[in-house]
Amino acid sequence: MNTLLSEDQRDALQELMNISMGQAANALARLVGAKVTLSIPRIVSVTPLQFAEMLNDTDVWYTRQSFLGHIRGEVLTVLSKTGCDSIGELMDYEVPLDHDALSELLLELANILAGACLSGFTEQLALNAKLSMPTLFFPENQQTVHVHWASTLMMEVEFKVEASQFDSRVVICLEDIAVDTLLQALNRLLE
Amino acid sequence: MPIPVTIADDSLMSRKAVKRALPPEWDVDITEACNGKEALLAVESGKAEVLFLDLTMPELDGFGVLKYLHEHHAKTIVIVISADIQPEAKRLVDSLGAFRFLHKPLQAEQLRETLFEVGLI
Repeated sequence: MNTLLSEDQRDALQELMNISMGQAANALARLVGAKVTLSIPRIVSVTPLQFAEMLNDTDVWYTRQSFLGHIRGEVLTVLSKTGCDSIGELMDYEVPLDHDALSELLLELANILAGACLSGFTEQLALNAKLSMPTLFFPENQQTVHVHWASTLMMEVEFKVEASQFDSRVVICLEDIAVDTLLQALNRLLE
Repeated sequence: MPIPVTIADDSLMSRKAVKRALPPEWDVDITEACNGKEALLAVESGKAEVLFLDLTMPELDGFGVLKYLHEHHAKTIVIVISADIQPEAKRLVDSLGAFRFLHKPLQAEQLRETLFEVGLI
């Protein structure tokens, strides 16, 4: 997949990610009243097997959301277990978080981060995609991880709230069929 | 006489976005810079009466450029165009004397208003 993208297309994709993740980080920073740092976006190609391997970390929570429209795929939000109480407190939850409050917090965070990431991304490309509500996902309860794509372009960025020792990763996986649409939209921005 | 303008951004796409957003009637001579060091070189060689400046860049970032210009009392009009739009970035940029802090993706209308406020168009 790396060879599928020209250097200019990769640059454009990375910049689009920077911009949309910047919007997501700003949404989170305002919500928790603390600075959020962002990693440089990582853009790679993954197979379902590699995707499944990402889902075996026991130190994190996972949420999944799918999106449909001009481009389709799914968004995985990975949230560290450490720092959840601290983030919850900043967001006016009662701490320590009980089971229900923790679920609510995780889904709220996933919705803010993934929602801002995806909407920023598609708006800049003048494409539309509708994101479903997030659901918590427990890989250990699944025999196999079901995905409905054969290979994918994966874009990943990490958010850190240093004051709370909390971090989160948002992973956007595009279905193969959406990659062509994406490349065409990128080329329009590079004209 | 065209006004010397420098666009400093490590992303080709974002430099193109700035060029596309410039008012067509504005007579400018554009220099492109891919990092902060190139931006300062452009300033020092008189190619940046106006500097459109990204914050996150290799070599020397936009904050470094602003700091240098601030310390050297440069007359360059700096308009920051950034993907980092958190309150802390804006505070720092303001304290370093940038004229305006615009968010990416850049809106042509907002850029026009900004240039109008400076009296450039």
